[in-house]
Amino acid sequence: MKLASNNYDPGTFYDELIAGDGSARPHATRLAEYFSDMDPRELDERQRAVDSTIVDMGISFTIYSEGDNIDRAWPLDLVPRAMPGSEWDRVEAGLAQRLRALNLFIDDLYNDRKILKDKVVPADIIDSSRNYLEPCKGFSPRHGVWANICGTDLVRGGDGTVYVLEDNLRVPSGVSYMLENRNVIKRVFPSLFKNHNVRPVSEYPTQLSDMLHSIASPRPDGEKPEVVVLTPGIYNSAYFEHSYLARTMGVELVEGGDLVVGDDDCVYMRSVEGLKHVDTIYRRIDDVFIDPEAFRPDSMLGVPGIMRAWQKGNVALANAPGSGVADDKVVYSYVPDIIRYYLSEDEIIPNVPTWRCADPKHLDHVIANIADLVVKPANESGGYGMLVGPHATKAEHDKFRELLKADPRNYIAQPTLDLSTAPTLCEDGLEPRHLDLRPFILQGESVSVTAGGLTRVAMQKGSLVVNSSQGGGSKDTWIVEDKS
Amino acid sequence: MLSRAAERVYWTGRYLERAENTARIVQQYSQLLLDLPVEAGVEWTELVRIVGAAAAYRDSGKDETEAQILDFLLADRSSPVSLIFAIGMARENVRNTRDLLPQESWENVNELYQYALKSLTPAVEGRNRFDVLSEVIGRCQQINGVLRGTMSHHTPFHFLVLGQSIERADMTSRIVDVAAAYVQHNETLVRRYGSSLWTNVLKSVSGFQMYRQYCQPQVEGFRVIDFLLRDTAFPRAVGACVEQAKASSARLPRAERTVAALDGVASAIESSSGGQMTATDVSHWMDELQKGLGHVHQAIVDTWFLPGDSA
Repeated sequence: MKLASNNYDPGTFYDELIAGDGSARPHATRLAEYFSDMDPRELDERQRAVDSTIVDMGISFTIYSEGDNIDRAWPLDLVPRAMPGSEWDRVEAGLAQRLRALNLFIDDLYNDRKILKDKVVPADIIDSSRNYLEPCKGFSPRHGVWANICGTDLVRGGDGTVYVLEDNLRVPSGVSYMLENRNVIKRVFPSLFKNHNVRPVSEYPTQLSDMLHSIASPRPDGEKPEVVVLTPGIYNSAYFEHSYLARTMGVELVEGGDLVVGDDDCVYMRSVEGLKHVDTIYRRIDDVFIDPEAFRPDSMLGVPGIMRAWQKGNVALANAPGSGVADDKVVYSYVPDIIRYYLSEDEIIPNVPTWRCADPKHLDHVIANIADLVVKPANESGGYGMLVGPHATKAEHDKFRELLKADPRNYIAQPTLDLSTAPTLCEDGLEPRHLDLRPFILQGESVSVTAGGLTRVAMQKGSLVVNSSQGGGSKDTWIVEDKS
Repeated sequence: MLSRAAERVYWTGRYLERAENTARIVQQYSQLLLDLPVEAGVEWTELVRIVGAAAAYRDSGKDETEAQILDFLLADRSSPVSLIFAIGMARENVRNTRDLLPQESWENVNELYQYALKSLTPAVEGRNRFDVLSEVIGRCQQINGVLRGTMSHHTPFHFLVLGQSIERADMTSRIVDVAAAYVQHNETLVRRYGSSLWTNVLKSVSGFQMYRQYCQPQVEGFRVIDFLLRDTAFPRAVGACVEQAKASSARLPRAERTVAALDGVASAIESSSGGQMTATDVSHWMDELQKGLGHVHQAIVDTWFLPGDSA
């Protein structure tokens, strides 16, 4: 198949749009046709239209560089990444299953600890986790749900299997870009949507708002609960998203100083009308910063006393403090067991095979094969602190061998994945680039999953680094109906 | 509306106004010094007094040369009364309330800041000082135009106007105060150069033309003072600023204390009569006015910015 007068060749990798024989995959036939009709100049023009729409719409992200915060225009590639609806239905069920099980797990850890007593998950993994928060013990949030908003990273391997790479249960970001990517592509390619039955993503802010209302304790006066979004402020890299979500939900965007805990252990917002009772806080601040009384006394971002208000059930926090205990790459390796334990079901989406360095046999294997593996610290995100064996030097291998021996609990290792690719506009036309996918799952009274999610692309040839802070790009993600 | 947001919008109004007024005063002062002979004894240090920073200036360790004083008033980022400081604070406040203000106001204030950063230091040294200050005044007016022309008249707008009116009343009263003090100490010179002095006072608030049209053609000291304090039609006169602030606060919830404080200032202005006052009276009365404006500011802070803390 010729794409944009280039011979597009995904090579040995699984391409999301183009099959190995060069023909378009069935769900992507019209999409591939549309773009193969464009010559390189037209592709460039359309990409420029995408870029200028992004600037006009003010879609940006903030990076911290050389002591200054810089707003960068959000990078979006013009070619959408498409998945068939029939496949997505299965993935969606798998994501919902996973979050349900993880929430039962977290609730169990802070209460009966049955799963530890039954030795399905070793207790020392939990007790040594810095994300296990003592002040949360004995508490159970409304509906027993701790992680209300989850961003799960999915990847597709060379054989076409979709794997879960990690669960982000703390303050996952990116959903605003998923929404805006769709808005931009609809503006630049209105005709493209006429020929496709693409599942909409636009109801996310409503679903988020419904979920945040569903976790509030009912007001004695029968009033509608007051929901706010709590941001660290304009210098945070995800401030665009905080502001976007507050605006699209129609709720206040607050900073720590806007909230105050009263003598009645309720949370109030300082407004020009006076103090206003707050029922649910969608907090985009890490656990240790939310309450200087309970955690880091030097935190300027949080609200003194907010943990007290939460423990008394006077305010709902999403995600609940302490949810991060399940957002740990060692815990991740037990998720299939966790699903079986609580739901008596097999996992629908498999994990990437994972070696736990805390296990001496696994550690030996990792040390011997480090050049072929990806080594990750248990508690970092954003791609920091990891080693990609095949791309690293011998000195780096040795350095990591020492790190692993010194603190095995804190590391896991996985095989280097042949991440799937999709056609992406590069210097010389459309070329395959590796990508992942972050869907967003909400759980309050019920569970909902975004149709697709945020597709992130590694823009450098052969690179697997998709993080926008490290030069990654993004794509609009299409779930295309393939059943009539 | 969140208290923090209201506070930032209020300070946006104050700092934008302060920036414009600082530029105006320095520009007019430069002109005045060109008009008056050296023996008139008007010095650059008067400017530091107008902005109420005499003590801060002594502490800064700068000498009393034109260059040092102007650096302190224009380009020195560590000086709390400098033009660059006011513009930087306006920018910071707009940046934090971008969701509430028209998009162009952020772009314009950011451009103003970038312009000021590169232009003010050369302006201190005298090169293009007039042009640079005119440009700053023009850009401030442009931002004001965007805000006045495209912002809905809801709560944020009223906080903006409140900040602007109070800052403006404060600055006008300071200018009058310093002029009156000068008149008292330099009677003979004032007899010779008085009208030039008062013309410049009027010009520093762009009031020369309106004074002549609606007050009287002759420029006389006591009439100028009366005009700048009591007029309710000229937008930069204290009386008009107080009216404006009252109109805005009346649109806000729980405004009783602020309105009462503004009424206090209004009746003080009403009871004054520039014609019969000596310079000492003016000076004393100005102190009262400054205190009254201070009460207004405190009422605003307690009512809207720190609810719960003082209740």
